[in-house]
Amino acid sequence: MSTAFTPVSHKMSARDVSVAYGDNQAVKNVSIDIDMDKVTAFIGPSGCGKSTFLRTLNRMNDTIPSARVTGEILLDGENIYSADMDVVQLRARVGMVFQKPNPFPKSIFENVAYGPRIHGLATSRADLEAIVERSLKRAGLWEEVKDRLSDSGTALSGGQQQRLCIARAIAVDPEVILMDEPASALDPIATAKIEELIHELRGRYAIVIVTHNMQQAARVSQRTAFFHLGQLVEYGETDNIFTAPRQERTKDYITGRYG
Amino acid sequence: MQRRIRRRYAAERRFRVLGAGAVILSAAFLGFLLFTMVAQGWRGFTTTELALPIDLHAAGFHVERARLNTPAADLALASAGLEDAVENAATSAFGPDGATLIAPSAWTVLRAAVKRDPAILERRTVVRVPASTAFDRALAGEGTPAMKATVARLQRAGMVVRGFNWTFLSESDSTDPVAVGIWGALKGSLLTMAITFLIAFPVGVLSAIYLEEYAPKNRWTDLIEVSINNLAAVPSIIFGLLGLAVFLGTWEIGGRVFGPMLPRSAPLVGGVTLALMIMPVIVIASRNAIKGVPPSIRDAALGIGASPIQVVFHHVLPLAMPGILTGTIIGMARALGETAPLLLIGMRAFIVTPPDGVTDPATVLPVQIFLWSDEVSRGFVEKTSAAILVLLAVLLAMNGLAIYLRNKFETRW
Ligand SMILES: Nc1ncnc2c1ncn2[C@@H]1O[C@H](COP(=O)(O)OP(=O)(O)O)[C@@H](O)[C@H]1O
Ligand SMILES: [Mg+2]
Repeated sequence: MSTAFTPVSHKMSARDVSVAYGDNQAVKNVSIDIDMDKVTAFIGPSGCGKSTFLRTLNRMNDTIPSARVTGEILLDGENIYSADMDVVQLRARVGMVFQKPNPFPKSIFENVAYGPRIHGLATSRADLEAIVERSLKRAGLWEEVKDRLSDSGTALSGGQQQRLCIARAIAVDPEVILMDEPASALDPIATAKIEELIHELRGRYAIVIVTHNMQQAARVSQRTAFFHLGQLVEYGETDNIFTAPRQERTKDYITGRYG
Repeated sequence: MQRRIRRRYAAERRFRVLGAGAVILSAAFLGFLLFTMVAQGWRGFTTTELALPIDLHAAGFHVERARLNTPAADLALASAGLEDAVENAATSAFGPDGATLIAPSAWTVLRAAVKRDPAILERRTVVRVPASTAFDRALAGEGTPAMKATVARLQRAGMVVRGFNWTFLSESDSTDPVAVGIWGALKGSLLTMAITFLIAFPVGVLSAIYLEEYAPKNRWTDLIEVSINNLAAVPSIIFGLLGLAVFLGTWEIGGRVFGPMLPRSAPLVGGVTLALMIMPVIVIASRNAIKGVPPSIRDAALGIGASPIQVVFHHVLPLAMPGILTGTIIGMARALGETAPLLLIGMRAFIVTPPDGVTDPATVLPVQIFLWSDEVSRGFVEKTSAAILVLLAVLLAMNGLAIYLRNKFETRW
């Protein structure tokens, strides 16, 4: 099921999206709208297809040979699975942050500069340095690393690595940022920093975050989608979902009936 | 309970002793090999020369000075009887058997000296000429009593000079063991290796990239994978036959004869054949290295919009490079030591001039060793060992390069 929100022109809209890995139907007929300036949380028990669905939004499933995606996903009204959509361009517009921090084994500077460089976003070295600084500042990492930009990105702590990955995603100026359990591998303090960062980023991007932590969804998101067994069970304002869920299954999950 | 613990300790100890024994045994074999090679080979790097006093003017040797600066100088000196003059000088300096004490090539030393400094045509001078093999053997303690006595007499007279054998490093094959050199074979090996590398490395690495990153996983790619693994185990002589048939063979198609594709006995055909041989090794090593790159790095790059080619060349390949290079150098080392396939494609010819290019006839180090070890003349024994030492030195240098490159490309995580 889906819920229509105003405004009518959504940043991204999924229509009847299904994903199968071979015979395993991981996502079933999901339709959902995602808007600018909002944080949308995907919650649900593990294995219910949250990551799989998230990865359809920037076609990262293309890299899995067995994955078959059907249905339609629109970005600014354009179907991203149509033949004339350039995947490279799409992923620059819809960035992704992964569950396990995965900085390149290069310097901090190179990590952030890589995206702008391959997309030709900087015309000069000074330009590139400005982009790197701005991205690191937005990711809340600048103060911690400004004196050691040439150190390896992999030498940072887990939380710093994840913020570096966020800076790396921001550096190519995306419109949508997808985050797949970005804090699940981090300690509580680092997690709090990431959540704070999501708050600050909200005004600039449409953010979609997958989490299995309901408190986290409640803290960071304005909208929540509950997935179960590959289906989108309920989607609505976060406050409503957590206080007055309309579906029985949502209520069971939120009250901790199943994991 | 106690007994079980004791038994476990005993088993542990036994295993350690066995392991240490295996290591010691292989070290002993290696040490023995090195020791015999060095013990026999060091003489190959030394020369025995005789100080030959000669007065060409007094001997009535005459050649037109003007011809010494022309390309015909060699001919002029030869036809004027320089070889006889040198033999006569040896007879008068060293005794009646003097001509047998100097190497047959001794007069060419004098020829070079005359061309360098024509003034020695006019006065008495002393030149160092290589001693004959018989003399050299007698000096090493193998020979007739008469020859040994001659050696002792000349040594007392201070006419025997020993030195480092630069000729061995700068000359090529010869029928006379004192005049042989390894340079021709070394250069042949280097040219062959260059061809092998230039073909096997890019093709092998690109195949590995394609198979790992692009190829769909289906029956065909499975078949290719199995074939590559089997190819790596095919005996090298089969590759020699393949090279012979494909590159040196001729075909008759529609009444016209095609081929051979490549020149016989040349580093080009040797290099291509060895490239075919080591390609599977490089493909397998490269695939494993590429597999070892964490998928999260690919996701990271794809996630910010890197194209598949950028993912490969900016991230996967640099991270896989240490493993790829190690595999490549192992393959190259195998190619460097390979003899059998090269014998088949004609790189066993008697080559007295080092190859100037990859299409010139050439031989390579292991084949040269094989050829020398087959010679009857005793003088070749030490040359064979010396050549083995040169081959080992090249192998060591290659392994050193491998370690250096691996450390250089190693990524610190
Ligand atoms: N790469 C894959 N290949 C095959 N099956 C997969 C793959 N990734 C996920 N799945 C399957 O798809 C279903 C949904 O997985 P996932 O999207 O990871 O769930 P979640 O993120 O909600 O835990 C699971 O049954 C899982 O086994
Ligand atoms: Mg998941």
